[in-house]
Amino acid sequence: MVITLVLLIIVLVAMVWAFFTYNSLVGLKVRIENAWSQIDVQLKRRHDLIPNLVEAVKGYMNYEKDTLERVIKARTQAIDASGLKDKAQAENFLTQTLRSLFAVVERYPELKANQNVLRLQEELTSTENKVAFSRQYYNDEVRTYNTKIQVVPENIIAGIAGFQKAEFFEIEDRAEKEAPKVQL
Amino acid sequence: MPFSFIEIEESKSRVISFIFLFIILFYFVTAYLILVVIENTIFERVELSKALFILPSFKHTLAALTLALLAAAIHWTISTSNLIEKMSLAIGALPADPKDTYHQYFNHIVDEVSVAVGGLPIEAMVIPSPGMNAFSLQDFQRRAVIGVTEGLLARLNRAQIEAVVAHEAGHIASGDCLSTTVNCSLSEIYEEVLTRMKAGMRETKGRGSAVVLLIFIVLTVMTSLSKLLKYFISRQREYRADAIAVRLTRDPLSLAEALKLISRNWRGSGAQGEKLESIFIVNPRFETLDEEEGLFADIFSTHPPVNQRINILLGMAHLDEKTLEENLKNFTRVSPVALAEFKTADNLGTKKWFIFQDQKWQGPFLWDEVSKLGWLTPSHWIRMEGINAVIPVYQDEDLQKIFKGEKEEEEKLLCPHCKIALDEISYEGVPILKCSYCAGVFVEDNKVSRIFIREDNVYSKDIEKIGQSIFESKDKFRLNQQDAKTIWIVDCPKCQKKMRRQFFAYSYPIEIDRCIFCSGIWFDKLELEILQYIYERKDKFFDTEKSF
Repeated sequence: MVITLVLLIIVLVAMVWAFFTYNSLVGLKVRIENAWSQIDVQLKRRHDLIPNLVEAVKGYMNYEKDTLERVIKARTQAIDASGLKDKAQAENFLTQTLRSLFAVVERYPELKANQNVLRLQEELTSTENKVAFSRQYYNDEVRTYNTKIQVVPENIIAGIAGFQKAEFFEIEDRAEKEAPKVQL
Repeated sequence: MPFSFIEIEESKSRVISFIFLFIILFYFVTAYLILVVIENTIFERVELSKALFILPSFKHTLAALTLALLAAAIHWTISTSNLIEKMSLAIGALPADPKDTYHQYFNHIVDEVSVAVGGLPIEAMVIPSPGMNAFSLQDFQRRAVIGVTEGLLARLNRAQIEAVVAHEAGHIASGDCLSTTVNCSLSEIYEEVLTRMKAGMRETKGRGSAVVLLIFIVLTVMTSLSKLLKYFISRQREYRADAIAVRLTRDPLSLAEALKLISRNWRGSGAQGEKLESIFIVNPRFETLDEEEGLFADIFSTHPPVNQRINILLGMAHLDEKTLEENLKNFTRVSPVALAEFKTADNLGTKKWFIFQDQKWQGPFLWDEVSKLGWLTPSHWIRMEGINAVIPVYQDEDLQKIFKGEKEEEEKLLCPHCKIALDEISYEGVPILKCSYCAGVFVEDNKVSRIFIREDNVYSKDIEKIGQSIFESKDKFRLNQQDAKTIWIVDCPKCQKKMRRQFFAYSYPIEIDRCIFCSGIWFDKLELEILQYIYERKDKFFDTEKSF
């Protein structure tokens, strides 16, 4: 009698624990999805801003046509990219080309004196930072989730319910990891 | 994840209920003490022989408790309604101006940090003060505000401002912002009443009745007690917010730099804000206690020593204090405002255009003249003086403005002298109104301080000369105040009321016209630049002249 009661209680506790674990895992997964949509919003914003910037600086930069073309090409690639890995790669490439564009802008005093260009540049810098921050937030969330589904005993529930490991939105060069900033 | 929103909610409600309990206790003790005093002074006389000291009966104690509950509830409701409006009013913060370049840029930074904490919406506010400080507020509706002073925006670079904002976001994300805001708001009521009463007592010269005195004493006790409550909010929260800031920006060095710069400068964020020190990043008042360590300082101070905070941050960056000093020495700040922006006024004044009209080149015209040519169309061919290229008007950036301006012309304010529409220009990022003909500018009252605080302007030799000579002979300047004709010359472009001609201040003898209604100022050509030149060099000027 006592043994059955104890067993019953143990089963009950285990079930309650299983429910809670399952729910918290679902909660984490939703947070990851949310973080991903944040990244998407920021990336879209960046893609929308680039043509404006290119348009604004085009007139001044007669000798830097290929820098501009590279930016435009990188943007098209980034828009077309599908799948997390490809997307991350394309976006990294876009970041790099934008950085070289900013470096070029630095060399043109007329451009730095143009409030319009300056505003766009500030806007883009801000978007760059937002992309970096949203990616950072996403990766943090993924890390929490991945840790949770792998540690004992949560991994049992994760295994039964079929929770898969989430993918990181990787950054390639380490320097960027340290300081997510565009130097102006 | 060190801060999940669930954890935050839990810790929030715990701290808040603790604060509420404290208030109830606080009122109960006060009510009980009053009860004791009353019973001992009134009833004691009747039965003096019985006892020297009477404790209130159970019934009376119960009544005191009810009263305390009621008072606590009223106090709570009053001080927690419109929390953010009330607090921002108390420290003089205003929402960021979307037209101001600096404020746009600050808005961007706040947005970025808001993304970094996972999309928590945060509003940006600015205190128009030259001091350097930052604060955060939050209310029960989860509305969050981060604010900085104008001086901080003008003196720190982007990464440093970002670090400061991230620190404030750390307060919001870790949930201690709400409790601090509530706490400050609770004690603020008393302090306000107390200051008013003190002022009132001074006027009546102690003729107040005993009741007033009693209330006064009670309020004084309560204020000191509520100060104690503030100290419960531990200094640890600042360290924690610093840690979150580093986690968000991954840039401990910038935060260390920002803290160093802030602690070196005047931190005052305006006289009103001083009592609310715990919402700021660095205590607006300089307190020696803050810089000390040990148990006593831990309990009775709201902020930890700045140096300690900087050292921890430098430890994270694997750097020492020397490198920090070196960095700050070579510190350059990129202004968000295009430097040529101010010069456009001068450039437009000297640039000249030839215009192809009636089969021949006409001109040269100044920009002011071109803009008033009735027959000019965007497709006219033009040639700039000194440049050979012939382009249509619509390709010339300066002349484009003429046509852009025309489309937007909806109820523009008029120049008080020339009666033509004033154009909005950006002066050090501040949107002000300028007459394209007489080059006078109209600056609204709350924008003057922004212009003074920002130091982006590059002055021409002429202005330097004029500024210097005005300053040197400033004691000789006198305004003839007797003659009404010389002091009421123009009407305010905004409210059409009279503007009074006066010196900007005794030490700044620049004649300006100030509206008696809205306090907006009309500066004639170059007056603003000269005034600003003198203001920005006031330390140097006043130093050489100790008599002031």
